[in-house]
Amino acid sequence: MKNYSRITPEGTRDYLFEECRSRHRIEKKLSDIFSARGFREVVTPGLEYYDVFDPAFSGIGQEVLFKMSDRQGRIVVMRPDNTLPIARLAATRLQNLRKPLRLFYVQPIYRSHPGLAGRSSEDVQAGVELLGAGGFRTDLEVLATAVEALNACAPGFRMEIGHAGFFRSLAKSLPASGDFRERVRGAVESKNYGALDVCLSGLGDSPQIRALRALPRLYGGEEVFEKAAPFCTGELEKTLRSLHRLYRTLAGLGLGGRLMADLGLVQRNDYYTGIVFSAYLEGCGDAVLRGGRYDGLLEHFGEPMPAVGFGVDVDALTRAALERRAARTPSRADVLVHGGDGYELAALKHAAELIAKGLRCETSVFPTEEDAAAYARACGIRRMDVVGSGIRTVRFGEGKA
Amino acid sequence: MRPLRIALTKGRLEEKAVSLFERAGYDCSALRNKGRRLILPLAGGEMEAVLCKAPDVITYVEHGVCDAGVVGKDTILEKGGTFYEMLDLGFGRCRFALAGPKGTDFFSGYSARTVASKYPNVAANYFAGKAMDVRIIKIEGSVELAPLLGLADAIVDLVETGTTLRENGLQVIETLCSVSARFIVGASSLKFRRQEIEALASRLERAAQAGGPERKAQS
Repeated sequence: MKNYSRITPEGTRDYLFEECRSRHRIEKKLSDIFSARGFREVVTPGLEYYDVFDPAFSGIGQEVLFKMSDRQGRIVVMRPDNTLPIARLAATRLQNLRKPLRLFYVQPIYRSHPGLAGRSSEDVQAGVELLGAGGFRTDLEVLATAVEALNACAPGFRMEIGHAGFFRSLAKSLPASGDFRERVRGAVESKNYGALDVCLSGLGDSPQIRALRALPRLYGGEEVFEKAAPFCTGELEKTLRSLHRLYRTLAGLGLGGRLMADLGLVQRNDYYTGIVFSAYLEGCGDAVLRGGRYDGLLEHFGEPMPAVGFGVDVDALTRAALERRAARTPSRADVLVHGGDGYELAALKHAAELIAKGLRCETSVFPTEEDAAAYARACGIRRMDVVGSGIRTVRFGEGKA
Repeated sequence: MRPLRIALTKGRLEEKAVSLFERAGYDCSALRNKGRRLILPLAGGEMEAVLCKAPDVITYVEHGVCDAGVVGKDTILEKGGTFYEMLDLGFGRCRFALAGPKGTDFFSGYSARTVASKYPNVAANYFAGKAMDVRIIKIEGSVELAPLLGLADAIVDLVETGTTLRENGLQVIETLCSVSARFIVGASSLKFRRQEIEALASRLERAAQAGGPERKAQS
């Protein structure tokens, strides 16, 4: 039998030194921003029952879930999404708290992707969920939080906003076949104008069908709202106006040319009901932040309430941050403290003093001073303090001996 | 900023893609004299063409290292992925078909069938849609061999004229869908380089409509 003890599973990897530091820094920046805005941290289990992510309302295909069963044979999955567990939490343990709830999280999600495509199965996500409130101000608060988070971690981003209402409302005019609707949704999502035309041919020329045809082309800057106006009547006119208002308010946050509107934006997760938004980084193919309003989701957990939130891919931000800072050599200890025989405790105390002064300090584990010195030279540690009846400082020059 | 990078499928679609870019008014002289180079300037260095195998076009575009690409719908159906499929370029037109030995009825009886294909996902999705359990075997080369050698009851393959099928005693049982070359765009690239990409797409679209003898029917 083949032995896999020396490699990690496909889609996973070890994170080393600078990567860990950089990731912690990003996580801390995001947590600080969220918490300064009044969001409170929650941690949900890495394992959840399959039912929490029921594909019928989650839009998460069962083929991406890592599954196992518990002792009673119930199906358990590795958390593939952070919004659903938080919806579960809000609808159950937090149902009696004063609304709205402002929650944030920093924790990994697990998804199994088709093999050898270079996608990761384990991604740390950070995000916020604002539950129990609807309306313009709630949407704005969450979007402003997303903008602040990205400004802090990846200033060169592009953000696009849309509204699930456009597709949802127009799709009502389609023949009632889930399969057909999904094909149309896919064509709108991938801006496949040709396929969309084919799907919609033979459905007549009602205003709804004309609007559906136009939907994937309605993206760009603020001119989109003018272009879209002729297609938006009744309920959609209101949707368009409120999205435009949100767009203009966000533009006032200094987003300028980094903000876009895309009325054909339909997120892969089918639970969105209101605004939807994504953010991208240059050279990073997939979106690094996704979010939206999901007013119908909490109902599945027995406690209907409006909600909106987003999640950002911490690993993608970490990669971008590391690229910006190029290859910095991993940081080494400033001092190696070596205690002579019988002076081990004195060495520990001396090291603690140096650390208190802000130095990075390793305590030698070598039996002799010569071994310790060889180690320090090989690793590029420039100073060694030898602790005996007194303290003697040895300095090493540049480079390796 | 680096030049806009376009991944082109090598081989069958390459010549037609290059002549489409030429008809759209882009200088392709480097692509015409490419030697063994894989990355070539396009339109005098305004863009870069990357020559690669069909599935790799999707991979490079999805990861954002190429901004757009030209690839067959057959590859898109087999490999899937997340990107914008903005244009049907109209060339490289053929169809996916289920084919089997002449005179046999593939759908009769209740024993499970064996189907050979270079496109196992396309075949699997097709039979799943029919709620049929079928054993699918992936074949890399001439799939027609599999039923002839008795390995499979039928094949799912691309059919252009049907000559190969006929000469090997096979016939089309059913057409799955038609395919052709597509212009795809990376999600992130469309956000960062919208003007350039839209200008390119509309020039390609006009050239495809003007010069395409083989239009009609999209999937």
